[in-house]
Parts: sequence; structure tokens; C-alpha cells
Amino acid sequence: MNTVTYNIPAHLFNSYQGQQVIVRSDNPSDLVRYLSRANLGNVLYAQLTSPEVDLDPLSTWASPLPVDVFLRSPAVEYPLLYNFSKLLDKHPVRISISVKNGFVKAVRLALALGFSVKLEVGQPDASLIAEMAEVLDLYLHRSEVSQPVEYFHSTFLSFFNHKQSPNLWLVQEEDPEQFRFITNEGEETVSPRFGETNWKDLKPIFTAEHKLNEKTECDGCEFLERCGGYFKWPNKEFDCEGVKTLFSGLNLAAEELRNDLASFRELPGVLPT
Amino acid sequence: MMRNHLSVIFLPTNKCNVNCEYCFENKTADRMSLDQLSAVTVKLLDFMEESSISSLTLHWQGGEIMTMPVEWFEQAHERIGALAQARNKRVDHGLQTNMIAYTPRWNRIVKEMFGNSVGTSMDYPNLYRKMFRGGPDDYARIWKRNIQAAREAGINIGVISIPNQETLKHGADSFYSFFVDELGITDFQVNTPFPGGELNDTKRNLELENEELSRFFLDLTDIWVERGLAEGIKLGPIDQLIAHFSGEPSCLPCIWQSNCADEFISIDARGFVAQCDCWVTSYPEYFFGNIFEHDTLSGLLKNSTARREFVDRPAAIVDKDCIECAYLSLCHGGCPVRTYTMRHTLLEKDPYCYLYKSLFRHTETVAARLAGARVDRKDFHKALVHTGKGKSCGGSSQTSAPATWQTQPLVQLERRKPAVI
Repeated sequence: MNTVTYNIPAHLFNSYQGQQVIVRSDNPSDLVRYLSRANLGNVLYAQLTSPEVDLDPLSTWASPLPVDVFLRSPAVEYPLLYNFSKLLDKHPVRISISVKNGFVKAVRLALALGFSVKLEVGQPDASLIAEMAEVLDLYLHRSEVSQPVEYFHSTFLSFFNHKQSPNLWLVQEEDPEQFRFITNEGEETVSPRFGETNWKDLKPIFTAEHKLNEKTECDGCEFLERCGGYFKWPNKEFDCEGVKTLFSGLNLAAEELRNDLASFRELPGVLPT
Repeated sequence: MMRNHLSVIFLPTNKCNVNCEYCFENKTADRMSLDQLSAVTVKLLDFMEESSISSLTLHWQGGEIMTMPVEWFEQAHERIGALAQARNKRVDHGLQTNMIAYTPRWNRIVKEMFGNSVGTSMDYPNLYRKMFRGGPDDYARIWKRNIQAAREAGINIGVISIPNQETLKHGADSFYSFFVDELGITDFQVNTPFPGGELNDTKRNLELENEELSRFFLDLTDIWVERGLAEGIKLGPIDQLIAHFSGEPSCLPCIWQSNCADEFISIDARGFVAQCDCWVTSYPEYFFGNIFEHDTLSGLLKNSTARREFVDRPAAIVDKDCIECAYLSLCHGGCPVRTYTMRHTLLEKDPYCYLYKSLFRHTETVAARLAGARVDRKDFHKALVHTGKGKSCGGSSQTSAPATWQTQPLVQLERRKPAVI
């Protein structure tokens, strides 16, 4: 049985003692106030829900707790990422970026500053797919990029290792078997994009039975195992053509890297690994 | 305010013993007493404690540092060491000097305090470094004599050089030969010129044309790869760029940090605090404050509107065209003082952008070629380890990978220790 991780607002921290939690706030002082006296063994990371904050409390906080920063309006907010670079010496920092028009600038800067990136992707239209393709190219091919971009990174590794991968629900921290989102009012759901819907009502959409019982684009899709129907929510009529090209790109790159490594091992003087 | 390592460019004296035409400092007769030094040290250590910073590097310079007595340094070293030890903090020291006043009396303190290394400066040809009485040739003659004596005493010499119009006319080959073959220098760094401080005729003509300067740097790169790399010659920033593009640990100069305001400050003999030595004597409007007049360094920095301009600069200019640049992660708009002195604003990118991009592209290509040629990794690595002035490495600026977000769920959600804490 997996442990469930609860994404909770900082003011509910005391109510979730003993549970595995992600603690979020739009105020660094709150995070430090609630977390500095706590046992951090059960805290997965702290999440700042806005980048427009006074970072001094976090900058001077000695704890190495990972910090996630959420950009809701990335095209506008992205220059604020410079303020967070000083956190990197003390904390692993990930930037969660809402996939909205112009978000590629935020990804560019986040990667240039050495942050990990997570794309909050939803159901991207054609223009967003084009931006995602640009991000995929950065992630796969630019030597300056040294940090993971999720969900690309986990998916790439699963293609590369030929391993059964956790599907996107889990990568995106939205699998209700493992993640629950607690609203500011204390209501339990799966993630912000599910709104007020109770997670138990959503359970069927994650199950294989559901996908097999209905004739959908997912039937026979070569990427179903890795995707898990993630892009069919909330609009199950969503056309996956664009996201499939991204999966294909990841698959091809993994194959190319595997072939390159195999050729390298065949070079004279190179020991097999 | 700062990262986990604090670097301070420290000027205990504003006095100089030479009269270089392109110097960006406005000299004064001020020098710091040992009691003032102790007061500054205590405030730096307080700041480190408040900010959870564990180590400090003091980059000592002036004015001219060797106008201070050797005995002053012996006592300074002792005082700083005792204060740091009491607070469980680490303090390292670097020395930048023109070497004109060097005598063997300096050898012991150079060894004990500065790791037996000094940074100094010389140009080829030397046009602008002058004695108060005597021209560039007199300066060069004394400098050569003194670095020779220091080297014979076992001191490691690192040289910073600024190209001028004549350098470009002579070309990269002559430049390299002068330092490496003629002087036997094995560690040098090329910086770009800027007209800092009070303007004069020399400074008005200091800026070099980007394409010509790029050609020089690119030629120099090729010459170093051909003649210097295997010999272990250090040539910044070229060797560090190639290390960077080779995936090796590297130490890039201060002009190529995500934000120099996160990396270091400078304090002069009067206690003025500013972004770096290029600002701290010459631009009062950009002073952050005076450390002797503030209870804490953190309060001084936090309340300084001048500092805010430096902190905000990369974010303010990134959308102009840096965001589209393939080398954003290396440069972030470049150097504030080069921008300010040549464009009269902080809110533009570095005027040497064209040069930087050309050099990044070229060194990236060279690194790929070297990787392809499967250079002997041992020699390659040896050639790429470098420290010195203008590079705040040893602390947070080394461009090894930052603490990485643990990817999940491929590697289950465990926290990793940050790289530096």
C-alpha cells in the first residue's frame, strides 16, 4: 500500500502531523514559521504558490528542504525567477510552470538558472503544443540544460530503460492513490485542476477498466501505458495528436541515445559497462 | 541576500603607488586601521551567521595593497583568524597586487595568508600602466623584475591582461608568446576594457570594436588549444569555457554569473560598500552605504536602493533579447559596470555581447571537437582547474550542477542533500 501525500495549506500543517505532506503557501514567512520547528521527515517539499514574495525568510533558513515555486502566469512572472537563484545553494528548487501562452520563456530562464522544471500541462491546444515542442528540444538537445523537465524526463527515462513506467498521473502528482490536494478550506481533492470534485468520484478515470470499457482514442494508443489517459481529462474528446508527437519525439531520442551508447561501447578500447 | 558563500573584494587602502591611465578607481589617501578591520570582520561574520553562510573569501586589493606594511597584514591575518574561529566560520584570502612594491619581505605572509599565490596585471603591449615618474616601459621593467623574483621565491603568479588597440594589431599569437614564451607565465586571464572612473582621453578611446576583439579571442582560443592545453597553461576565461562545455567543473568570471549581486560585495578603506571594486571608489551614487555607519551589513544591504538596482538588473533586461539567447545560462546580460560606463545605464545588456556570443559558440565547438578527439582526460582536467581574481569560485559560483530536484516517481520522493551547505 502506497503512502498518500497530502498537498496542504501551511495553516493546516498541525492537522496533518504524522502524514506525508507537501506544504504550500504564498508567503515564505508562513512556510518557515510552520516548518522551522517541525520534524521535516514527513515533509516532501515546500511549495510557494506565487513568485511575488519577499524571499528573505527562505534565503536565511538553514533547512535543506526542497522548494517548489508555482508560476500561474509564466509569460509575465518569469523574470521573478532571478530572485530564487540564491536559494539553490541551500535547497533543491523546482519551478512548476502552468502551460499557457508564452510559458516557454519561463522554461528557458528556469533552466538557464539551474532549476528543475515541472510542466503543469492540462489539455494543450496547437499553439501550446508548439511551445512544448520547443521545450522538448531544449530538454533533449541543449548542452546548457542540466536539470530535468517533467513530465518529459520521467517519460524519456522510461523509454530509454524500456521499463514499465509510472504513468503521467503519478509523474504529475495527481494519482489519487498517492496524492491528494487539500483546499484552503480543508476539502480533499486530487489536484487544483479537479476543482471541488471529490477524489473518490474521479477514481474510475484512472482505472484500466474504464479505458477498456469505452471506445476512445486511447484504445490501441502506443503511449497509453505511459500516459494513462492523462490528457483525456477533463474533456475526454481532447485530440491527442499533438501530445502524441511529443511522446514520439521522446521515444525517438531515447532510441537514438541507446544506439549511440551501443556504438560507443563497440569502439576499440572502450570497456563494456 | 547572498548565497552560501560570501565573497568580498576588500580594499583596506585606497592609496596607489602607480599612475595608470585607464584605472577605474578614484584614489584617496585613506587606509583602514586594524581596529577598523576588526569591526568590519565582526560585521561580516554577523552577516554570515544571520544568512546561514559558512565561508568567506576576502579578495584583498587596493588602491595598491602593497602600500600597506607587511606587519599590518601579519596582524590582520591573526585577528581575522581568531574572530572567524570563534564563530566557527571559514575565511580564505586572495591577493591582487601590481607587484611594483614587492620585496622578499612579503614572501612569508604571501605563503601563510594567501596560499603562496598572487594575482597581478600586465598588458601587451603596455600602453597605460605607468609610474608617477616614468612611462610604461619603466613600469614594465620593474614589474618583470619583481615577478621574476617572486617566482624564484616559489610564489605562483596569475596575470590579468586587458587588450588594447595595439594588442589587436599585434594579434593573438604575439600576445600569447609574450606571456607564455617570453615571461614564462602559466596562468593568465584576458579581461575586456571599460572606461570606469573619471574620464580622460585614454578612457574615451578604450572601448574596442566587437568584431576585431572577437577575432582576437577566437584566435587566442585556437592558439591555446594548440600550444597551451597539453602543457597545462591556464588561460581564463577560455579554458573555463571549454571546461564548462565539456561538462567539467568550471569557474567562470564574475561577468558571467546569473547575478553578481548575489555573489559578492566590495568594501573600501573608508568603509563604503558597493557592488565591486569598479564601483566602490568611483561612483558615490551607487554606494550601498558605509559599514561603519550601519549596525549590521544585512540592514545596510536590505535598505540600499542602489543595491536594489543591481539585484533587479538581470530580471529587468532579460526580456529585451537575452531570453532568446542560446547562452542565457552563461551570461544573463553580462557585466553591470561595462554596461554603465559604455552605455550610461544599467538597464542594457553588456556592450560586449557580440564578443561573448562568438566566444561561447567557438569554445562550445572546440569542446565538442576535443571530446571527439578523446583528449587524455587527466591532462585535460589538469589544465582546466583555475582560480583567481574576478572569478568568485571556491564558493558558490563554481558551475557544477546545483542541488537537483529529485525526480519522481522514477526515483521515489526522497530529499537530496543540497550540493553546498
